[in-house]
Amino acid sequence: MLGKLIFQNLQKFGFPYPIDKSVCTSWAKDIPRGGETIIYTSCMYQTASLSDVFSKFIPYAEKLSSLSALAKLIKPSKEEIERAYRILQNISLMLKRRGVQFGYLYEDEPYSGAILLELGYLDEFGEYAKIVTDFFKQKGIKRIITVDPHTHNALLRYKEFTNFDIEVVSYFELLGNVKARIQGEIVVHDSCLYSRFLGKREVYRSLLNSSGVKLVEDELVTGKDTSYCCGGPIKPVNRELSEKIARLRVEQLKRLSENIVVVCPMCYANLSKYHKILDFAEVVE
Amino acid sequence: MSEWDIAVERTINNNVPRVYKTLSQYPYIQDLAKELRKAKLEVLNNLQKYVEQTMESVKRIGGNAYYATNVYEAREIIAKIVGKNKIVVLGKSMVAYEMGLREYLKELGNEVWETDLGEFLIQLANEPPSHIIAPAIHMTRERVVKLLREKLGVEVSENATHEELVAIVRKFLREKFVRADVGITGANAIAADTGSIILVENEGNIRMSTVLPPVHIAVAGVEKIVPTFYHALLEATVQAAYAGLYPPTYINLTSGPSSTGDIEMKRVRPAHGPKEFHLVLLDNGRVKISQDEVLKEALLCIRCGRCHLHCPVYRVLGVNWGVPPFTGPMGAMWSYIVYGDTKPATLCTHSGNCKEVCPMGINIPRVLEKIKWIANDKERNKT
Ligand code: SF4
Repeated sequence: MLGKLIFQNLQKFGFPYPIDKSVCTSWAKDIPRGGETIIYTSCMYQTASLSDVFSKFIPYAEKLSSLSALAKLIKPSKEEIERAYRILQNISLMLKRRGVQFGYLYEDEPYSGAILLELGYLDEFGEYAKIVTDFFKQKGIKRIITVDPHTHNALLRYKEFTNFDIEVVSYFELLGNVKARIQGEIVVHDSCLYSRFLGKREVYRSLLNSSGVKLVEDELVTGKDTSYCCGGPIKPVNRELSEKIARLRVEQLKRLSENIVVVCPMCYANLSKYHKILDFAEVVE
Repeated sequence: MSEWDIAVERTINNNVPRVYKTLSQYPYIQDLAKELRKAKLEVLNNLQKYVEQTMESVKRIGGNAYYATNVYEAREIIAKIVGKNKIVVLGKSMVAYEMGLREYLKELGNEVWETDLGEFLIQLANEPPSHIIAPAIHMTRERVVKLLREKLGVEVSENATHEELVAIVRKFLREKFVRADVGITGANAIAADTGSIILVENEGNIRMSTVLPPVHIAVAGVEKIVPTFYHALLEATVQAAYAGLYPPTYINLTSGPSSTGDIEMKRVRPAHGPKEFHLVLLDNGRVKISQDEVLKEALLCIRCGRCHLHCPVYRVLGVNWGVPPFTGPMGAMWSYIVYGDTKPATLCTHSGNCKEVCPMGINIPRVLEKIKWIANDKERNKT
């Protein structure tokens, strides 16, 4: 069963699939370890490009008795990993410039459990949420700064399963205002979670709007309840469907602007196959 | 682009902006939708009481009411009323499709015709419907030309317009309406206090199916019951608006067999319309679902079909997502409710558009999450 396998991997590798943990942590150099406020990556940006590789393994995953050997073999490409690190470093820099103090858990940073939740493994997610919550409490963490919507959403759902009372905030909510690094028109591909589940759609839109770029909108493409998913969340279940949704989404967005900006590493990974995609943290500073 | 891609894009472009426009032009509709949600929840929380009240009300006004726990019972009840060698005209009904009624009545030796244009095309093509209110949206005009030519054996020009195609079907079905022995329809809403049923339509086929034949049978899931006549009218209004067809051309109300009060104001049944009215209420999984706090939300669905056109999965998979007639986001919920199929729910990407646009405020992604959990739980118990 996929849920069981993911849960086992979480215990073994601290991640839904086998991975060398240094991939997750090497972006951070000068951030203090731990503290009451932490930046929490859940290794999402660092591994987003791998979701494709691992979705190919899923049909066979249950037949493989041990995936440990894969951990050392499968890594994002040098280019992909450097880009992910640059995004995270820019997020961290933007926060520091605005005087936000935070630490990082490095190799102790747990995964959020988002994939269990999104695949409907609610029992496993609940069990895992308790483990992570206890860990955060043990570390004395009072405030978590998230950098992606899937992690943010998973943390907010913890309270349905355990006594989770830690403050969770998205990094862009702490930015105040930003300056654009690019010029001209852009189109935003909203994260479904930020836009329709977490009520943050206007936060990054207003940041972008006042940054100097021009947002192109279309009622049927970028509206709150018309903008489509990137297809990412369905990838572990049905790759073909996920890819078709991504292709369709890129076609829609391209009609509005060549500059497509996303606010989620999963959107980034899924749409990048069909067009050059920019992350929010690449277009502002 | 595939035929499906073309057809669904045209539909989205026609329908989605029209619903937005309706909602801003007639702002009271959103308030009515909220009121309706409350009323429907009240019924779901006291389902048995409302079923009993509805059946009593139908009998009080001279109709017959039946309760069927599953599709086999429902089909038997209807087959007994219809008999053999009859001409039956059907108004589009998801419940009739759910119970395989058309095929069943045909097997018993009846001539059975769908009268909703889209459903009629579906019958001719022998295909499953692709959308709950526009069952043939996957067919382009070109395809319809071919279908009518082949199946009705009539002359249809290659360049026939939409209007000409509609006229051909109109001519064909007119004769069936006049000769029909039984009309079978669904119900958009059933008023528990009066036993009335409401049907919303545009074509006029429902009017004819419910009035021309001497017998009218309505079939509906128990979730279609609303507390009062007033709420039934609300449901008609809200359903039409969110389906993008507001005002609806017709709202058809039936309270028992036809009647007159013209001689000394004494109400007498029948008059010119049907002399018999039958209501068949179907459970088929609904009652059990009404007892689950999360899943019960699905029973609030008023079948407006709006969620379909906002859903990326439906946009790609169309009729292949869900168990017909239950396709799209609502279908992913309903495939589980009536067929116990959890697979469609597992294909939800939780884009969340459906919950934003649903007039009943159904948290569809949450319902589907629970169905995924049920599927995983079953799997877990196997291993
Ligand atoms: S689930 Fe909501 S939007 Fe979808 S068909 Fe039902 S009432 Fe309409």
